[in-house]
Amino acid sequence: MGAAGPASVSEIHGTTVIAVKYDGGVLNVGDRRATGGTAVMYDRAEKILTLDDHTLLAVSGSYATALNIVRYLQHSFKYYRRTQLQEMSLDGKLQEIGRMIANNLPNAMSGIGAFLPVLSVWDTTSKEGRIYFYDGMGARFEQAEHGAAGSGSAPIRGVFEYVTRTKGPFHKMSLDSALRECLEMLDIAADLDSATGGFDKILPSAIAVGPDGIVKIDDKQLAASIRDLRGKR
Amino acid sequence: MMTPYDWNESVRNRMEFVEERLRSGSPVIGVRYAGGLLLVTLRGTQSKTFEIYDRIAMSAIGAPSDVEAIRIAALDFAHQEGFARSPDDVTVNRLVSFALSPALKKAFGDAWSAPLVFRGVFAEAGAAPEHDRFATLNFDGNFAYASNVAVAAGTIQAEEAMRDVLGALSPDVSLRDALRASLEAWALGRKLALSGIDPNSEEEDISPNPAVSAWEELADDRKHLAVEAAVLERKISGEIGCRFLRDSEITPSLPHS
Repeated sequence: MGAAGPASVSEIHGTTVIAVKYDGGVLNVGDRRATGGTAVMYDRAEKILTLDDHTLLAVSGSYATALNIVRYLQHSFKYYRRTQLQEMSLDGKLQEIGRMIANNLPNAMSGIGAFLPVLSVWDTTSKEGRIYFYDGMGARFEQAEHGAAGSGSAPIRGVFEYVTRTKGPFHKMSLDSALRECLEMLDIAADLDSATGGFDKILPSAIAVGPDGIVKIDDKQLAASIRDLRGKR
Repeated sequence: MMTPYDWNESVRNRMEFVEERLRSGSPVIGVRYAGGLLLVTLRGTQSKTFEIYDRIAMSAIGAPSDVEAIRIAALDFAHQEGFARSPDDVTVNRLVSFALSPALKKAFGDAWSAPLVFRGVFAEAGAAPEHDRFATLNFDGNFAYASNVAVAAGTIQAEEAMRDVLGALSPDVSLRDALRASLEAWALGRKLALSGIDPNSEEEDISPNPAVSAWEELADDRKHLAVEAAVLERKISGEIGCRFLRDSEITPSLPHS
């Protein structure tokens, strides 16, 4: 995912993570490849990380930075809940994530630790799935239907629009349909971006967040969806 | 200058001060059941049972502000250790004996400040049932560990009677039965602590099932209290979570039903 030495932010995002709404929440799908320069360093990296029972962070950029920030946020949210005897508000969580990204700006500017996540939450107040992305200075932007990050996200940007126009909005899709669309896009990203692993060797990660919390899509369901995709070609 | 006599008297006075205030505390109980660990008490308006860390919870009697101070100290220690090292390094053993007990002992020995009014039960669910652990911690820093049952009540006699009731429970008892037995033990402990009765006294009238009759006798007392029960439960995935029981889970276990 990351590269050693100074590099522009866009150059060190070697990955593809996707978040789309579906009729029961938000689904995240991500490849498992971690790169160092042009080398594939690791093919089992988990890039969709759980912050708490209703919050998922799909990470791109420096994996070490991402893991450290996620670890801090996990502890921070738990500590708040346990001391205050109530959950931190969604806005509070969003602010804290933005602050961590802003604090990481010197690392990002030096080219060794840029980290840009896509955040997926189940909003327990408004009872809906929500997707946010951040810029490198910590500003956050809410997405209506979908989000993506990493070097493979740019080549598939138009695919989101194509799917929405031809098959309808993601938030009306079932989990199975949304999963198939995400896998298709991940496959395209892997074709067009060398830093994105596909699913021929290692199954990608797929995790959903909804009213009942975090649900990991099991390998059996993933494998069935992939077989279904290949069968149509 | 303080003489040894003054010091002994000071300790005795402080102990009496604390014991008198603990006497009316609603007892707390920790027991093992088939799915994990159960903490039970009856409370007024404020919660008495708290999640401390990933696999650790506590329940206590005492002055609410003192319970809160110790709860926050436990939370701070657990989260700092868990973040600096690993959640696996946060254990009830380290929490009680290393972090809390010396601080309580020091506070109790400080003749120039009010002693903390606190007696609590800490529960830790291990990776496997055989590693489950309870600890009881007293206002003077004394602590003890137990595997299956732990209680904190207003008097030593009440605690002994409660342990007798709960001692017959098997660690693989159902949650419902563990809760029912805990509520019966609560009633017995509450009654004995409030009345000052010594259950070992031959003069006392012992009914066939003193715990159940105590629950019924305390009907007026219970009107102002609500059952609070939390579990550290082992999930199929291997994770352990702290969860407060819903009324629908508590009602079937009430002793009179």
